[in-house]
Amino acid sequence: MVDFPRQTSPMKASANPIAPRRGVPEKTRQIKAWVKEILELEHDVAVSVTELACRDEGCPDVETVVGVMHPGKPIQTLRVHLPISEITRDDLIEIS
Amino acid sequence: MENPSTKSSAHRDKIPVFVLTGFLGSGKSTLLNHVLRQPNFSDTAVIINEFGDVALDHNLVRVGDTRISRATTGCLCCTLGSDVRSTLHELLTMADAGEIAFDRVIIETTGLADPAPVVNQLIPGGVAAFGLADHIVARNFELAGIVTLVDILTAELTIENQFEASKQIAFADRIVLTKTDLARDPATRKDIERLRVQLALLNPSAPIIDWRSDETDPAELFSPRRYRPTDLGDDVTSWLALETAIAAEAGYHGNQDNDKSRLTRHGARIRTFAIVREEPVDAVAFQHFMKLLTDSAGPSLLRVKGIVNVAGEPERPRIVHAVQHVVYPHSVLERWPDDDRRTRLVFITDGVDPDPVKQLFEASLKSRSTFAEQALTMIKRGMTGVFRSGAIQMARVWKSQTTR
Repeated sequence: MVDFPRQTSPMKASANPIAPRRGVPEKTRQIKAWVKEILELEHDVAVSVTELACRDEGCPDVETVVGVMHPGKPIQTLRVHLPISEITRDDLIEIS
Repeated sequence: MENPSTKSSAHRDKIPVFVLTGFLGSGKSTLLNHVLRQPNFSDTAVIINEFGDVALDHNLVRVGDTRISRATTGCLCCTLGSDVRSTLHELLTMADAGEIAFDRVIIETTGLADPAPVVNQLIPGGVAAFGLADHIVARNFELAGIVTLVDILTAELTIENQFEASKQIAFADRIVLTKTDLARDPATRKDIERLRVQLALLNPSAPIIDWRSDETDPAELFSPRRYRPTDLGDDVTSWLALETAIAAEAGYHGNQDNDKSRLTRHGARIRTFAIVREEPVDAVAFQHFMKLLTDSAGPSLLRVKGIVNVAGEPERPRIVHAVQHVVYPHSVLERWPDDDRRTRLVFITDGVDPDPVKQLFEASLKSRSTFAEQALTMIKRGMTGVFRSGAIQMARVWKSQTTR
């Protein structure tokens, strides 16, 4: 019988310098900051960001939903038809 | 309806529900297998959620006489309806009929799961109950903990690239580092400490546990406790609120026929597909296929798992796992889990199409280098430019090996 390989990899292997990095956590923080700045939100207004997709024909594959949460008011949602990693400040200005 | 917890040793008013999550390949099934072997886990109902059309995970978890494994093909987090609740209600109905008894439920999510919609179905004040069944579930079950596994080998890139991974970590009330037994040198242990800092930024509340530590009892991870999203910080409570708002806006996307929403958490770049083969496969050829694929596709190969019928050993299937660039040691089963003795491989990829992978598989088994080269070239097209040199290089490696 021939064994399959018993290959392991140290943690360093994940730090592959040519691997793509979307920088999602940092970009998420950036989007929150942009939204607060663009909408001139007070400190007590929370902003949340999530990413989801839709299978409906005519809808984008991936969209980012930004929730603006004014205390005591319904959540306002802003939708950008791009993944988090591709959103620019101009995209947010356009939908605000 | 009688509460099934009264039929077993439970001492709580409600049956605790635990969510076991973690990104693809983080070791959820391994941990679950370990825990289910503990004697005091005999009355545990397990819900296994799989992503893709070929369900396999339920075969990879041992199922004893008194526990149930329910496999759902599809993604729990992709339904804005009451999918989790309806499954729990089914369990309760079976318990009431005397078919089963359980005092604990563990839900193993797909590695791609967004925990927010699942949590919202299980906590007071989450998604509104849709009917009597949902009310019954709310009266009989409570979310008692979220355990998130983090693979130290792939965590850094996964957190950078996959939004769901950060949410899985943020929602945890226990974070478990896996594969730490592979970190033997001081430099790697230092990397783990850096990872701990990164995880603490995403979730300052949850203890970070090394599964391989002598002091860790994995069974303790599933001891009932109170799960409070408010303890986990503003990000988590905001995500839950946003989730509720998105659910309320579901009409935005229209088409709410049955309780399956058209929304999904996973973009089009995430693909799942399977290779199923009737005939046994040659071990060396299969080894070659796995090496070519993992070396060329690397981080875009989020997960490969499978059960393999090896030529010459028809009664002892191999279980194979690969996560991104790492092929893990296979295990051998002493018998097939069921009557299905076909080789079944499930792939979850990020930007890699099924056709070239299938072509590479066939070409590897038949030692047809031209087709393999074509397949590797096609794989590269589905990946970002930075991977192209890798795929081209692998095509050259194939050529040099076959022309020797």
